[in-house]
Amino acid sequence: MDAVTLVLAVTAISGLYMAWNIGANDVANAMGTSVGSGALTLRTALVVAAVFELGGAMLGGSEVAETIADGIVRIDGLEPIVVAAGMASSLIAAAAWIHFATYAGWPVSTTHSIVGAVLGFGLVAGGPSIIEWAVLGRIAASWLISPALGGLGAYLLFLSLKKRVLHATDPNRALRRGGPIFVFVIVTVIVTWLLTEARPLLAVDLDLFPAMAWAVLAGCAAGFATRAVMVTRGEGDHERLFAVLQVVTACFVAFAHGTNDVANAVGPIGAAFTALELGVTEELRVPPNVLLLGACGIVLGLATYGFRVMATIGREITQLTPSRGFAAELAAATTIVVASTLGLPVSTTNVLVGAVVGVGLTRSLGAINLRVLRGIGTSWVLTVPASAAGAAILTALATVLLGR
Amino acid sequence: MRIPLANLLAKSPLPRIGELMAAVRSCADKVPPLIEALLHGDQAGVERLAKETSILEGAADEVKNAVRSDMPLRIMLPVDRRDVLRMVSEVDAIADCAEDVGVLLTLRPLDVPVGMRECLRDFVGGVMETVRAAEQLVGSLDLLVKAGFGGAAAKEAMTRIQVLSEREHAADKLQDQCAKALFRAESEMAPVALFMWTKVLNKLGDMANHAENVGDQFRLFVAK
Repeated sequence: MDAVTLVLAVTAISGLYMAWNIGANDVANAMGTSVGSGALTLRTALVVAAVFELGGAMLGGSEVAETIADGIVRIDGLEPIVVAAGMASSLIAAAAWIHFATYAGWPVSTTHSIVGAVLGFGLVAGGPSIIEWAVLGRIAASWLISPALGGLGAYLLFLSLKKRVLHATDPNRALRRGGPIFVFVIVTVIVTWLLTEARPLLAVDLDLFPAMAWAVLAGCAAGFATRAVMVTRGEGDHERLFAVLQVVTACFVAFAHGTNDVANAVGPIGAAFTALELGVTEELRVPPNVLLLGACGIVLGLATYGFRVMATIGREITQLTPSRGFAAELAAATTIVVASTLGLPVSTTNVLVGAVVGVGLTRSLGAINLRVLRGIGTSWVLTVPASAAGAAILTALATVLLGR
Repeated sequence: MRIPLANLLAKSPLPRIGELMAAVRSCADKVPPLIEALLHGDQAGVERLAKETSILEGAADEVKNAVRSDMPLRIMLPVDRRDVLRMVSEVDAIADCAEDVGVLLTLRPLDVPVGMRECLRDFVGGVMETVRAAEQLVGSLDLLVKAGFGGAAAKEAMTRIQVLSEREHAADKLQDQCAKALFRAESEMAPVALFMWTKVLNKLGDMANHAENVGDQFRLFVAK
């Protein structure tokens, strides 16, 4: 077996391992809010996560993947085999760090790990001059801004929900009227975005107006469907109607997670494969089959281990009723999709934590453990250097072994 | 396991205020039989009930300490932590006063002046009504948290605060009548007895006052 095949095999396997890690922890965190409120059962949550993660990754996962593949480190001056070996090293270092941190019970983010690892590889392979410090700075800023934005969004959203729906004289009626409009807006915006921006699978690239026409159609369909389901639920506790809406936002969260976090596994694989196949001078594109590989790894992680994490969260956060869960998920997912469009890798879990705290700021949750917030800070203060060091050592080792 | 979301929502200490209120209520419930024993000249009964009150006050204190230690700084609550602590103190103070009434009545055997018998019963009844109104109010805390401190639940709580305040006012009036009855009998009484009676009446009145303060703290919960 020659060096190239060996490196590619190691990259693919470590990428799958990384994807498994993401599925086992990240996705479970993202879906747990829906399980906790009872909007989804454990089994439906698994199905929703699988379908929409896959969809998000295939339709909108390439921007972030490309940031991780060649946005942080300028790989075009490096030898292809060094790039591939470096990406494999990054994946191994990041996944090993996550495994270790998970074992130790630290709330680290897969996003922070892989960004740190790629940085470490770049520093060893080409020195500080090939690092895109501006991009790295933007990413670091987004790690602070995105949870804050998720929190702000959820705060404003739930405040208006309280005023207009929960404290209305007839919450059920208000919800049956407003809920479908909410769904209409969400679906219309997403479909417009998919039809105009999403690549590479949907190579439709419609103009804005035809795309919007289709999107409005889809939005109407979804809105009417929501209304129909809500009507069949009849009277009773309005939280049961919110559960219908939360199914929609749960799908949205899984989709958003797919657009952002699948990249943590497939970005490096994509970089390694394209570097060796096409050379590093080509503009990097993460091929759909690599995205598919990552998405499958995630679903595998979810099915083998993540469901247990999901069940734990479901048991712990029952206070997060469907109305709260709906607001938190909608704000978090929107923030994440915007970040994905900008090619910014953010941590889904952290954004969701920010969003839940945002709901709490409207005085609508019992007691929030602020110690969890500290995890957002410490996880990247600790994670970035740790995974960077790991990747640096592995990359140095690999270059020696490959005789470069 | 690395599950930030599972650790995000902590157990709220607020439901335990209801627990404290229940403990305080069972302590305060000893006061009417205590006064009855006094009215019947049953000093042994007074001693026994005073001791029981004291034991129940200790039990309420334990619940109070549990609520306090349930509130570390890292927990973000929908209400101001200091307001909760003040409210806990006010609830607890009702039991403290009940215990004090018992203690005062055991220090020196007291006779009830004939002219004060009826209105003393009424006064104790009024105080207990006020304590019950406070208990009702604390009972609405759960719903209030669920509703995010707004809407119908908040209106309901405001009504209960109003009721509590009215009860306290009524108890106040009854206290004044008792005091008047007491001083009408002043020439027939030993000065020390008069002195002790003023203290007893004040302690009984303080039970109602602290119950009303619970309502005032509660108002801050709803208003913020």
